[in-house]
Amino acid sequence: MREVMIIIRREFLERVRTRAFVLGTIAFPVFMVAVFVLPRVMADGPVERHLAFVDESGTGIGDRFEDFVALGEATGSGNRYTLERVPGTFAMLRDSLNARVQREEFDGYVVLPADLMTSNRIMFRARNIGSEQVVRDLRNAATEAVQAERLRAAGLDRADMTELLKRVEVDDAAITGSGAEGRSAESTFIFAYIVAFLIYFITAVYGASVLRSVLEEKTNRIAEVLVSSAHASRLMLGKVVGVGSAALFQVAIWTVAIVVMATRSDLIAEGIGVPPEAFAALSIPASQAVLFILYFALGFLLFAALFAAAGAALTSEQEAQSVQMPLMLPLFLPLLVSFRVTAEPMSTMARVLGIFPLTSPLTMPMRIAAASIPPGEIALSLGLLALGLLVMSWIGGKVFRIGILSTGARPSLREIVRWIREA
Amino acid sequence: MEHTLLIENVTKRFATTLAVDDLSLAVPRGTIYGILGPNGAGKTTTLRMVMDIIVPDSGRVSLLGGDPHRDRAVLRRVGYLPEERGLYKKMKVIDAIVFFAELKGMDRRSAKSDVLAWLERMDLGKWANAKVETLSRGMQQKCQFIATVVFQPDLLILDEPHSGLDPVNQEVLRDTIFQVRDEGRTVVLSTHNMPQAEAMCESVCIIAGGRKIVDGRVRELKRENRANRFVLEFDTPSPQVERFMHSSPLFRNRSREGPLWHVELADGADPRSVLREATGLDVQVARFEHVEPSLHEIFVEHVTSAARAGREVARA
Repeated sequence: MREVMIIIRREFLERVRTRAFVLGTIAFPVFMVAVFVLPRVMADGPVERHLAFVDESGTGIGDRFEDFVALGEATGSGNRYTLERVPGTFAMLRDSLNARVQREEFDGYVVLPADLMTSNRIMFRARNIGSEQVVRDLRNAATEAVQAERLRAAGLDRADMTELLKRVEVDDAAITGSGAEGRSAESTFIFAYIVAFLIYFITAVYGASVLRSVLEEKTNRIAEVLVSSAHASRLMLGKVVGVGSAALFQVAIWTVAIVVMATRSDLIAEGIGVPPEAFAALSIPASQAVLFILYFALGFLLFAALFAAAGAALTSEQEAQSVQMPLMLPLFLPLLVSFRVTAEPMSTMARVLGIFPLTSPLTMPMRIAAASIPPGEIALSLGLLALGLLVMSWIGGKVFRIGILSTGARPSLREIVRWIREA
Repeated sequence: MEHTLLIENVTKRFATTLAVDDLSLAVPRGTIYGILGPNGAGKTTTLRMVMDIIVPDSGRVSLLGGDPHRDRAVLRRVGYLPEERGLYKKMKVIDAIVFFAELKGMDRRSAKSDVLAWLERMDLGKWANAKVETLSRGMQQKCQFIATVVFQPDLLILDEPHSGLDPVNQEVLRDTIFQVRDEGRTVVLSTHNMPQAEAMCESVCIIAGGRKIVDGRVRELKRENRANRFVLEFDTPSPQVERFMHSSPLFRNRSREGPLWHVELADGADPRSVLREATGLDVQVARFEHVEPSLHEIFVEHVTSAARAGREVARA
């Protein structure tokens, strides 16, 4: 056991002391916050447009349209517009308007045609048509103006009608096993996705690190010296646990950061100018957190054992690169179907992926976050995962033991099977 | 316990080749023992079997009185320097060496101070906190040697310890190996450098093609293998000497190197009659010496004759 501790310590320190670890620890939360906050902060920031306005409708709709656009009441996007009325018909003005837009006197022009009430169509030309919000704003303002005119013609008041036609919002929230109300649908998906992505990210990064360091020991013949002091299976155990503890340490730092952020979310939300609900996804019930960590730990060990065996069987960095991706595929698969899994957590696909040991470490946290899963199903999934881990350690240990000391060409698959049988 | 290491009738076959063929050898305690042989002779395979890195197909290895395959504890008392060296590149020199020392059972604190002392001794003191990858190959090799020896093993197994070292460092390493031996430890080293082996080893085993060619104490090997070769030197040159050296039927071969005559006696010729006749000449004999063959000559002689025998067997 003493050797295992010495190896764990070395593996842990070697990873934690690197600049990459420090940068990664800081960069990941920053990246996550950016993913959440940036779209809200940067989503189509308010723009200003100076537009020429040709009104052929002549029914008073034009005035209303002008008011709606200028006030920004109908649009509500925060964009600011100044309209400059140009007298005359479009057919007459067309060339001069185009020229003036090209000279940058205007950003563009809007035409309300004479048959607006029947054609339901206005015209917008601009140098830069890129912002969809501008088109939406103009459509809303014209629609409101036309509707108001129609209501007036029918003898109705627009303010009353707005009140009568008000849209209904859905207040959605999941009901958890204990009967309490959980988070909303959007928030659930985001939360489940974060947890799954985090498990994937950590397992992939640290799993690859296990593979590469086993390969280094093998190609440098460090392994020969190591196994003359510690049995190969202890070497593998120390490596997997050592790398795993570095990964857990990083997760622990992030968890602390998240807890601090969650308790201070009001202040932070205010500071960066987003609604406090944006952080709702960050609060995790304790029972779920325990399950997540359990799935993460077992899943990580399973894949780490797989990667350790792969590292011992391979002979060069190039081979490692080509093998890494296929090995990671079962881990990655649940992320590809994450939308389906969180939307239909009780579907057959979600259940199957949740029970199979190679895919359950990512699938189950997503399902648990999205719905209350029967405890029996969780127990079965965890049991199979633990069993899978034992089988993988047993097989991986054999491949590791022989592979780490073998020299020469890369073994064929048949040869690896022979190692497993003979070792 | 007579022997630190005993190998008995060990055979190891890889897919198509017989790497080690019925090899036996015995390493006495407290000596430096050389396993010599050309490239591909089976030296490294033999050492790897001793370290239980590969398992022999048949035969027995006894290491410090135990079986390394059954009782791994004996391996803790053995320092092993593999042929291809490697330390963790990203670690500090001191940490990398202390790690191996700890695995061999030292506690961290005493390992640290001992490693520092060794680094000073090997002229690497100021590199203790540098990363391994910043060191030259020769320096890394010295570091790895420290990792092999710092935990005071009873037996050192060094696979080609001198390869890749410059002459100055070769000398440093040689002196250190002598010191280790003087402290009562046993050293087994493999090499194909014969002059080096001759300068260091008390006993050797020469192998080729996986088979033992000859083994024993170097002094005895030399005595047993000396041929009919002598060196003769006279005080001053003289025509009489010249005539004697060229015409005497006692010599089969002669060549002159300054004042020295290298001669090979004719079959059946008695060295004593050579001396008798030489002392009858007009100048004094300054030296008459039976030449011992170098390890290199023994090696070449035995390896080629073994190869010849092998060919004859094949022809028969």
